[in-house]
Parts: sequence; C-alpha cells; structure tokens
Amino acid sequence: MAMKLCSVILLGLALGAGARPAVADSIAEKVEVCAGCHGADGKPVDKTIPVIWGQLTGYIYIQLRDFKRGDRKSEIMQPIASGFERDDMLAVAEYFSQKKWPDLGQPRAPKDVSKKATDAEHSVGCTGCHLEQFQGTSTTPRLAGQSREYLAKTMADLRTRARGNNPGMSDLMIATPENDLTALAEFLAGL
Amino acid sequence: MNRLSIGGYAALFGLAFFLPATAYAQQEVKQDSVGPVGTANVTPVTQAMLNAADKSATNFLLTNGNYAQTRFHLAKQINQKNVKNLHVAWIYQTDVKESLETSPIVVDGVMFVTTSYSHVYALDAKTGRELWHYNHKMGPITTYCCGPNNRGVQVLNDMVYLATLDAKLIALSAKTGDVVWKTDIADPEMGYSETMAPTVVKDKVLIGTNGGEYGIRGFVRAYDAKTGKQVWSFNTIPDSTVGVWATKDATGRDMHRDIAAEKDALAKNGDPFAKLGGGVWQNPAVDLASNRIYFVVGNPSPDLDGSTRPGDNLYTDSLVALDLDTGKYVCHFQYIAHDVWDLDAVSPPVLVDVKDKSGKTVPGVLHAGKTGHIYVHDRKDCSLIRFSEAMVPQENMWVLPTKDGARMLPGANGGVEWSPIATDPSQSLAYAINLHQPMTYRVESSPYPNGKLWLGGAFTAIPSEKQSGNITAVNYDTGKIKWQVKTPEPMIGGILATAGGLVFTGEGNGKFAAYNSADGKELWSFRAGAGVNAPPSSYMVGGKQYIVVGAGGNTQVNFKRGNNIIAFTLD
Repeated sequence: MAMKLCSVILLGLALGAGARPAVADSIAEKVEVCAGCHGADGKPVDKTIPVIWGQLTGYIYIQLRDFKRGDRKSEIMQPIASGFERDDMLAVAEYFSQKKWPDLGQPRAPKDVSKKATDAEHSVGCTGCHLEQFQGTSTTPRLAGQSREYLAKTMADLRTRARGNNPGMSDLMIATPENDLTALAEFLAGL
Repeated sequence: MNRLSIGGYAALFGLAFFLPATAYAQQEVKQDSVGPVGTANVTPVTQAMLNAADKSATNFLLTNGNYAQTRFHLAKQINQKNVKNLHVAWIYQTDVKESLETSPIVVDGVMFVTTSYSHVYALDAKTGRELWHYNHKMGPITTYCCGPNNRGVQVLNDMVYLATLDAKLIALSAKTGDVVWKTDIADPEMGYSETMAPTVVKDKVLIGTNGGEYGIRGFVRAYDAKTGKQVWSFNTIPDSTVGVWATKDATGRDMHRDIAAEKDALAKNGDPFAKLGGGVWQNPAVDLASNRIYFVVGNPSPDLDGSTRPGDNLYTDSLVALDLDTGKYVCHFQYIAHDVWDLDAVSPPVLVDVKDKSGKTVPGVLHAGKTGHIYVHDRKDCSLIRFSEAMVPQENMWVLPTKDGARMLPGANGGVEWSPIATDPSQSLAYAINLHQPMTYRVESSPYPNGKLWLGGAFTAIPSEKQSGNITAVNYDTGKIKWQVKTPEPMIGGILATAGGLVFTGEGNGKFAAYNSADGKELWSFRAGAGVNAPPSSYMVGGKQYIVVGAGGNTQVNFKRGNNIIAFTLD
C-alpha cells in the first residue's frame, strides 16, 4: 500500500519536474521528489526501498545512469532519472552521499546467523569489493545498516537477474546457496 | 603565529636549555638532513642511479628493487647470525586503514610509501618522521575489484610518479608533494583503474591498467616523464586475438577446449578483441642491454565464460616483450590459451641469467604463475625453457567450469597471486609465496555490462576445505624445489632476499619473519598486529641497514587491516 501511494506521489512529482527547464532546478528542487519514497529524514517509507542518505556518490550516480538507460528497471525511478543529465546525476548523488546514514534500528544478527552469513561471505568474497566493514567504496554500495527487506529483495532479484544491471553480482548471488541469503540480509542489516 | 607554534617554540627552547650544546647541534643536523615538515630534501634520482639500482646497498629505487626486478638487495649488515636481534626502529601510522600493498622506495634517507586510495607519504627513512603527504582528491567514479590498493611510486630526477585509482597518472614534486602534472589514462566508468607503481626509465613513465573483470581493452603505455604526454601505447589485446587454437597449456596439459564450437562462435560474432580484458597491473622488467621491457598480461573478460570470446584470446595470460623506445611487439609466450579459470599471469617477471636446456647460461626471464609453477624463459624470444615443480597442490586440472561448480586446484587466486618473487642469483634460487585455496569454478553467461563487473560465473572457496600457504624456494636452473615452509594461511604480498643470506616475508595473521635463504630455516619473527601483505624493502641510512614493510592487511583475501609502516634495524 505504502509502495503504491509512493508511486502515485512520485509520478506526479516527476511529471511536474520534467515540465520545468532542467537548468533552472536547484539541487533542492531536484531532490524534492526523492523524499516521497526514500524518506524526508533518510528513513525510507517502505522497507523494500533502499536507504540513500549517506550512500556513496559513485554508486548512486551509476544507479541513476542505469535507470535512465533502462539497464535497471523501475517504473518509478526510470521517469525521474530520464530527466537528469550526467552532471545532474552526479550532483544528486553527491547531495545524498553527504547526508548522515540513518539508523533504522535493526538489531544485530544473533551469533548463529552471523556465523552462517560470514561463512557465505568468505566463500564468495563480498569484502573484496564491499570492504571489511561493508561500508562500500565509490561505485560499490554500502551494505552495512541497509534495510533488511531491501537487501533480501535485491539479492533475490540479482539471483534471478530481475535486477539486471550488475551481471557480475548476479553470478556471485547465483553461486551463493539460497538459504544463506536470509542470513546475509539479517547480518548486513544489523551492522 | 598561532598558539600552538608559540607553545612549540617555548618547549623547544626549554629543551635546548637543558640539553648539552653538542646534543642540540646533532639534533639540528639530523632534522635538516631530510628537511623540515612539508619539505623533503631528496637527492635527484638520475637515470644512471636507476640503471645501477641493483648495485646499490643503500637505496631501494624501484618497486622490485631494480629494473631486472630481482628483489635481491645487496645490504648484508643484517645477516643470518644477527637477524635474531632485529627490532623495531620506528612505526609510521598512515591516515588510511585499508589494504597495504606498497613497496617502500628509499632515496638517500627519504622514503616514499603509498596507501589504499592513492595517498603518498614522504618519510624520513631514519626516524619515520612525516615530511609530506599527498592526499589525492579521488574522482567520484572508480571501478575496481579486490581493494582500493596502491603498490607504490617511482622517482626520477626531482619528481615522484603515481598512478591513481581513478585512472590518472600524476607527477609530484619530490621535495614538496605538490602536483607538477596530471594526465587522464582512461575512463574509470568503463572499468579502468590504476593500482600499480609506474616504472620510469629513459624519460618515459610506463603504466598498464586494471580492468580484466570489467571488459576493458588492456594496454601498456609510455608517457613523457617531463610533460605527461603519451609517447606510445601498446594494446595488450591485438586486433586479431585468435592465435593458434592451442589445446594444451604451457606444461602440456589438455585444456579441454571445444575448438569447433569456438570456431563457430568466431564465424558468427567475429573477433572479441574490443572487450577482452588483458589488464597489466604489475611492473614490467626493463632489459637495459636489449632495450626491451617484459611484462605479463592478465585474464580475459569475462573471467569464466569462454563462450563469448572464441580463440586463444591473445595476449591474455602471457609474457610479452616490447621495444622500450617504440612500444613495438617483440615476442610473447602464452601460458593458458582461452583461460576460463582466471589462473592468469600476474606476478611481475624477473630478469636473471639462467641455464638453457643444453646447460648454457643465457639471459632469462622468470614468471611465477597462479598455476603454482615458476616458468623460465629465454629472453631472446620469450620461449619457455622449463617450468618448475608445482609449489601448490594441483587437482583436476583443467576441468571446465560448470553451472553447479567444478572443483579444481589451485583456486583462482593461485599459486602465486600478484605477489612479486625474490631471487638470489648466487644460489640460482627464486623465492615465491603461494596460496592454497580449494575452490569450485562456476560458469554463467551474460552480455557485456558496460564497464560493470563481468565475471561470467564465480569461483568460490569450499568452506569445508582448509586453506593454507607456503614460502617456496625453487632452483630456476633445474626447476626443482629446494625448500618449502608451510604457513597456516594463504600467502599474498611479496618477498625480499638480501645479501645477508636472508629472505623476509609476511603473513595475513600479522607475522613478519626472516628465513635462511639457503634452507628456509626461520631465524626471526615479529607480530605486527595486522596482516603483513606487502613486499618488504631494504636500505641503509646513517651506516645502518633497515628492513621496512607495510602492515595493513589485504582486501582480496580479507586479512586484518591496519595502517602501519614498520622499519626494523639492529642496535
């Protein structure tokens, strides 16, 4: 329900934004639309929507670019991103990267879950890109403290290639036993 | 003048008042020898000094010691008898707690080290005091796997050369760390990045690129050292990559290629050169006598899926030689054609004299492979003279990757990863550090993803199987293993041999140790508190020999991170 409401608000805002000349838009105007789903305080209105406050500039930029290209599918994000040029995307990405990462209040995973998650991580080598504390770097996203439901959905979508804009990640998720993904989501969300 | 500096002066005057005059004067002299904070009084590094780097017991001028990349240092004050007395001289803590792969460079008492995210520090090599710090302003887009690493710099004349994670080549003033010039090497959004130290020779800055996991087209380039303008560029992936349809690897083992299917794919889709990978991210060796460079080319893209890239995928997984002045091709030797295991060629080649098959001494090239073999080549034409006994277990080679995963040893990190080897020509020994990581290899097929991670599957460690490592000494004139030390964890980082009859190397668990280079007996060790996964250097200053190494852990194998540069010496 929340998702549906969010879609309606966003589509309206996006259409409105598209009607104005892009150069006239300040960053504040450009990001106005984002709060409808990603939260006015950085806490998304729905748990399957990612935290973007404090996320890395490079990663946000690449996602906006991919939404515009259609490499990443989203009926909500595609119309928004398609109004952006490269500099807009970088500016929006920079804007959100400077925000403080919100505390979603997700608990630490219990020991057995953490063990299962870290065993899975060691096998596939997540920290090779997401780094030791899962803080990410540049175009590789921060995972620590991300919404558990979003993480679970993303890993599942990568696994089926429903999320198609990172085939390398899809390969790695396919190589990870399906029953380890829940533990990974819980572990990462609780960091 | 701010309050701090007033306080600082007051403290200094106070100290000076109580110190004997001579001690104060000595202190002043010491401070001035390499410069005040913000300035490094660096001796200009001439080409003649670089050419003779292998004959210097004082300095450590190139990433692997000298142009031949022997990582054999002539200083022998620290030797088999006294190494037990080795102790920490100083520790310098960098601002970056992340994977450290730097090879410290030392020029007449000034040291240059780098960290992850392309920071550079100039330090007083005697005391560890910081002289300057270059904090690179990273572009918003960087694309790389396996850590934000940097492996070091090189100095020529009064400039320090650095290649950055966002694919820029930068010349810094050796004295101040200020940028003199900056050149864009390639587009980071398309998967290009830089982690290697440049090699500077004859006013040319030589640099390759990372990106074998991102569908790049690899290269080695020469830039003018004074201006940063490109002099030549060599595509490590030529326009025709098909090769000879080799069915066997360098050791004669069948690679189970389906040549007919590959030929069909070639007829249908054409040569895959444009996105075939072939990164070069370790230093070339320079043969001053023949005016050639020798380097190794990394894996094809995508790593594990060969269906989109028919043919031998030249010059991936190869040793390649070029003319230094022109960048023109001289010769190559491919270890694994049409690699689908990422068991590519990474560890930097070394130039030493070797015995050929008839026992005659000829100029040779060594390369330590991820396969676990040390390959010995004739420098004249790159041909293979011999390969060593396997340094790690090999099983099920070359089983093809499958959807569900096929087990094969070695794992995709090796054998020998990027870790440079060391040599001791007086013993005809090459020293290599190895990983043993049992893995399964899986294949998946997906189209080129516009500069994103493009693995074509996955290699995954088998959780139930124990991993380990080793330090191995190989006689490169016979191919036989002389000695081997087993380590509890896989080894990655590098190794150094000295004229003191020693080799130094570190482990992911923080152990840094010295071994007798003739028999592998452990003679000394130290616990650094973070992974010692960087190549050590040796140098002398003030009449004392030092061994220096970074202890910052490793991203790729996930060893404990730290931020320490640690120098050791005797009393």
